[in-house]
Amino acid sequence: MVEAEVLVIGGGATGAGVARDAAMRGFSTVLVDRDDLAMGTTGRFHGLLHSGGRYAVKDPPSAAECMEENRALRRIAADAIEDTGGLFVSTPWDDPAYPDLFHSGCIEAGIPVEILSTAEILRREPRLNPRISGGFAVPDGAIDAWKTVWGCALSAKEYGATILNYHRITAVHRSDGVVTGATAVNAISGEEVAISAGFVVNASGVWAGDVANLAGCEGVTVLPGKGIMIAMSHRLVHTVVNRCKKPADGDILVPIRTVSVIGTTDTEADGPDDVAIPQDEIQLLLEEGEKLVPGFRRARALRVWAGSRPLVKDDKADDADTREMSRAFALIDHKERDGVEHFLTITGGKFTTFRKMAEVTVDRMCEHLGTARSCTTAEEALPDSGHHRFYWLGARLARREETLNDDQLICECELISRRRLESAMEQRHTQNLDDIRRTLRLAMGPCQGGFCIYRATGILHSVERLDYSAANSALLRFLQERWKGVRPILYGDQLRQARLDDWIFQGLLDVEHLT
Amino acid sequence: MTAAGPGRVYDALVVGVGTAGLVTALRLAKQGADVLVTAKGVGATHLTSGTVDVLGYTPERVVNPAAALPDFVRDHPEHPYARAGLQAVGDALDWIKLQLPDGALVGSLEANFLLPTAVGVPKPSALAPETMAPGDLRNGGRFTIVGLAGLKDFYPAYLADNLSRARLGQEDNGRVEARAVTISPPTGGVADVTPMGWARRFEDTEFRKTVIAELEPSLDGGAVGFPAVLGLDSARTVWQELNDALGVPVFEIPTLPPSVPGNRMARALRAALTRAGGRVVMGGRVIGVRGAGERLEEVVVDAAARPKTYRARDYVLATGGFASRGLEMDSYGMVREAAFDLPVTGMPPNAEARWADEYLAAHPAARVGIGVDDELRPLDSGHGVVYENVRVAGAALAGAEPWREKSGEGISLATGLRAAELILERRGG
Amino acid sequence: MSMIDDLIEPLEEDTIRGSLDHCIKCTICETYCPFANATPLFPGPKYVGPQAERFRDGGDHSPDMSLDYCSGCGICTQVCPQGVKIAEINSKARAKLWDERGIPLRNKILARPTLGGRLATPFAGPVNWALGNRLVRGLIERVAGVHRKAPLPRFAGRTFQSWARHHPSPLTDKTVVYFHGCSTNYFEPRLGEMAVAVLEHNGFRVIVPRQDCCGLPLQSNGSFDAARKYVRRLAGALAPYARRGHPIVATSTSCSLMLKREAREILDVTDPEVEEVGRQTYDICEFLLDLHDRGELEVDFDPLPMAVPYHAPCQQRGHGMGKPALDLFGLIPELRIEEIDVDCCGIAGTYGLKKEKYDISMSVGDRLFKTIEKLEPEVAACDSETCRWQITHGSGVVSVHPIELLYRSYGL
Repeated sequence: MVEAEVLVIGGGATGAGVARDAAMRGFSTVLVDRDDLAMGTTGRFHGLLHSGGRYAVKDPPSAAECMEENRALRRIAADAIEDTGGLFVSTPWDDPAYPDLFHSGCIEAGIPVEILSTAEILRREPRLNPRISGGFAVPDGAIDAWKTVWGCALSAKEYGATILNYHRITAVHRSDGVVTGATAVNAISGEEVAISAGFVVNASGVWAGDVANLAGCEGVTVLPGKGIMIAMSHRLVHTVVNRCKKPADGDILVPIRTVSVIGTTDTEADGPDDVAIPQDEIQLLLEEGEKLVPGFRRARALRVWAGSRPLVKDDKADDADTREMSRAFALIDHKERDGVEHFLTITGGKFTTFRKMAEVTVDRMCEHLGTARSCTTAEEALPDSGHHRFYWLGARLARREETLNDDQLICECELISRRRLESAMEQRHTQNLDDIRRTLRLAMGPCQGGFCIYRATGILHSVERLDYSAANSALLRFLQERWKGVRPILYGDQLRQARLDDWIFQGLLDVEHLT
Repeated sequence: MTAAGPGRVYDALVVGVGTAGLVTALRLAKQGADVLVTAKGVGATHLTSGTVDVLGYTPERVVNPAAALPDFVRDHPEHPYARAGLQAVGDALDWIKLQLPDGALVGSLEANFLLPTAVGVPKPSALAPETMAPGDLRNGGRFTIVGLAGLKDFYPAYLADNLSRARLGQEDNGRVEARAVTISPPTGGVADVTPMGWARRFEDTEFRKTVIAELEPSLDGGAVGFPAVLGLDSARTVWQELNDALGVPVFEIPTLPPSVPGNRMARALRAALTRAGGRVVMGGRVIGVRGAGERLEEVVVDAAARPKTYRARDYVLATGGFASRGLEMDSYGMVREAAFDLPVTGMPPNAEARWADEYLAAHPAARVGIGVDDELRPLDSGHGVVYENVRVAGAALAGAEPWREKSGEGISLATGLRAAELILERRGG
Repeated sequence: MSMIDDLIEPLEEDTIRGSLDHCIKCTICETYCPFANATPLFPGPKYVGPQAERFRDGGDHSPDMSLDYCSGCGICTQVCPQGVKIAEINSKARAKLWDERGIPLRNKILARPTLGGRLATPFAGPVNWALGNRLVRGLIERVAGVHRKAPLPRFAGRTFQSWARHHPSPLTDKTVVYFHGCSTNYFEPRLGEMAVAVLEHNGFRVIVPRQDCCGLPLQSNGSFDAARKYVRRLAGALAPYARRGHPIVATSTSCSLMLKREAREILDVTDPEVEEVGRQTYDICEFLLDLHDRGELEVDFDPLPMAVPYHAPCQQRGHGMGKPALDLFGLIPELRIEEIDVDCCGIAGTYGLKKEKYDISMSVGDRLFKTIEKLEPEVAACDSETCRWQITHGSGVVSVHPIELLYRSYGL
């Protein structure tokens, strides 16, 4: 039995933000996710910290909100942010009337915007298509979703919150029209946990409708708008590059950590768990990539994935075109909507504005609970960001340089040392190497674990004192999970890598005959 | 006076310096042919485990490859073994054993060893370096697996855990008891020593003494398995001395690439080739060929400042598959053979059908390669011979999934040697 | 059916940095890197190359000084089966590193052999004495960071250029240009004389234009801008001959590689003049073997009944021409050549001269020295000058350019 004043369901950015906010305002809080934190939409986006430029023409209020939150996140989450800056560039394929609209939109929304000549853009980003004609600089950035969400969760923990990842909610309890808690099942042990809570926030993103149903609030429809993204093997650009046009497919290239991510597409998904990768969308992204960076098709793709935007159904838009639906978030007050008290659903929105969404949600909760407590999440830095220094690409190389000969390098692509890996394993206390992957970027580089996953399995076996079958299934599960992300982009260099990896796992280690 | 000659014409030009290319070139050079090998880098032999895997799974585990091969070839008529002929497989094994310093490779086509991999799976191999053979698990036994603190490519506890539960497919005599010991011999303060670094350390007598001293108290009479880092140039001496000093059978277990035993094999073959008078030119990719009718006339190789053109009577393509960049596929799914632009066969046109959903399943695209006739000559889609003086050997050939079958070295050896024999036969006739 | 004519395709436009995408982590380069295997201070070519490069993008500073322990020998690029330009990536990153930190005076001096040559030649006697004196060398080590034992060459006290100016080359219908490089000019003029004699014996008129350093030592010490200036100047001096179609023949494998490849691939010099000169440049053994392949080489070789160990220098691999000296030696009756199967002598141009790198350099060359010593030959052969000095220093065996053996065998 877990008791708390607030139960937050869903450990994406929004849920973690709500949990942190509530905990900081003195509520005893428990955060629950069916998987690991940030494994849904949050962990499946391209990493763009919006300046708001993308919405400057279509939705200026939303753009202004992005800029405000961009500033707030820079204050509180510096360690998760790379201050890359952003460019909006016009290619020959783009509407020549758009740049003027863009410029005035930015000014209207309060986004600092600088007009750049073609020469200046190419000086900053020499790999861009020389046929571009001018553009703008805006304060876009890159943000690491896992670091941010875990930072929020750890911050919440510091304020007394409990984090229950790998716990699936199977029932939401109600008593006389008031929500009183929920039942969760530990996804690893199968153990049932009863959670009693005075208030429940449903922050389960694309799954929000399902959770609302559990509370008997039917008809909350969240359309998953699926988009795919491809990570390219190194930073083809140093700055976030957007096409200066009405937002569409494949028009963003985000340099984040060691890779650059091109995104995205937009189709209506077959339900919230649909992460299938259609080949034609890959081809579409490559075509668009080629327009931004000539030679893009010959550059190396590392991995592809899909994520779904939670878009709350709205009568104003047609179901078929999910992009036309509002990206602004939806806070559903179930007391108003369904007469169910102490239950809020918060969904929609974008990563950049998650903190604001949390603030609004907790404000509303305070209203319901008849208490006035002010929000401090925009000022207090996350645990690793107290230094207020932005993350920089060379950080791991610099750290490795200091420990060249006194620590082993386990993941060579992402420069992860043995001590760091072991301490992450001890902290996470998991039997799932994919959890470690997201925590440290283990196996996220060019070889996609071809070399380090065998090592990591051996290390996990000893750190977690696993028996042979647990270690073997950690290895095999990881290989299968990885295969999903590389199988659709097996061409060029990554095909060669995949064949070498097969050589290692099948030819040399014979993993298919592990018992 | 000057020598006469219209420009040099080699007897044979071999493209690729992996196992298949080296074997072809060595066989030809030993018969007195004027052979040139050209390659863009050192070959994939460096990545192999040092064992010679001929046929390990069909998909059932193969006990006797010689007995299993006829059925296997009947079921897989496009397999390189079917093209080269089964005689070639046996001949290649006999031949390779004679090429390496005496006794370096042991075993036979009639019985697969079961040798532990670095995750503790018993893997079937027809031949093995003598330094690995005592790790044979077929009759069970007691084993102590030795890890080296400072070697990140070997996890003895995990290995031993799996080894103790290995399915050997035998009755009572098949029990394996394995345990792990980790020792910390001096590394000069370096935490991350590469397999090659360990191999060089093991060549030092004083270093070996510290290993022996540290290990002796924890022995229990069982055979002792080390990661395969027991010396590079003098592996036999190192292994022998450890056997003698520890008083129990000592063996090596191959681990991740770059593999020390693979390096030994590659270096031994290279040295034998040089001794036999073969020449190797490295660092240039083939950037073009010129053919006339059914014959290949010239091969153009990239070099500093200007390409080099080589001419030969016979050519052997041994550039490997996708992993070695012998085959390439672009983002549109177009596959090409990278050196001679030979027709490639077997790629499912539908992208979804190329690779199975399950990582460890059979993948149609893994069998893609060059289709050849019974003389290993490349075929076009109408089954016509593209060049009658070109032969294809090794992983560039279509029709195999070497890593699933555990047939990689067998294919390279059999087709490499067969290619050389065909050239010699024709020369003779 | 398969009439394929002129199927020569242009090389794919791989940028040096873009080639890092080809790395599949097989780590073959690190098993072959002589330096990573000799010192833990150098984390290896894959590490500092395609791997670290992913962390180096943008304007941030280079945090990895360990990169400076790469010698630039180029073996990594040559052994890479996947086409990653590892050494080139490393050279560029090293130049950026030094650009940020400022190049030490020591490196600036070592990188300018012409400067030293011009100043020291008139005073060769005292300079050589001083450079052979232990106290002076100790002082130089402390002040300038050049290791006291490092194999510095002796000044000849005359230049090859002054000999060439007074040497009338016979007028024939076949002309070659000789690119002798700094070492021949100031330290080994005799080698230049032998090269000219061998070429003239084969019916060539040999032109020796005035020429300066190719910029290679500057490049390997990270002074890319200065190196570009030198290589352009050298190309300017040689271009008129290249345009006339005269082959430019060189006895220094590393300096000729600068013209053939490195100016473009490492220094990004794309001037047509440098390209023209590069296309016409030949290593002298490559040139002579081409002659032989065409049946145009004089083969009136006298027997040379001796056993000679031969070391092919690392830089020679970059030419992609194999080891032409071996085939030429094969034409000399009774000459027994023992090719030493060791990749590197350790000197790597100026690397092994440096105080902090001398021991590494000697340990790299150790197996080579011991193998040569054991053979007790009269001479050893090697195409590159700094390698020859290192071999002599490490093994005590006099080391000569292959051309000297041809010269002797021709009875010139």
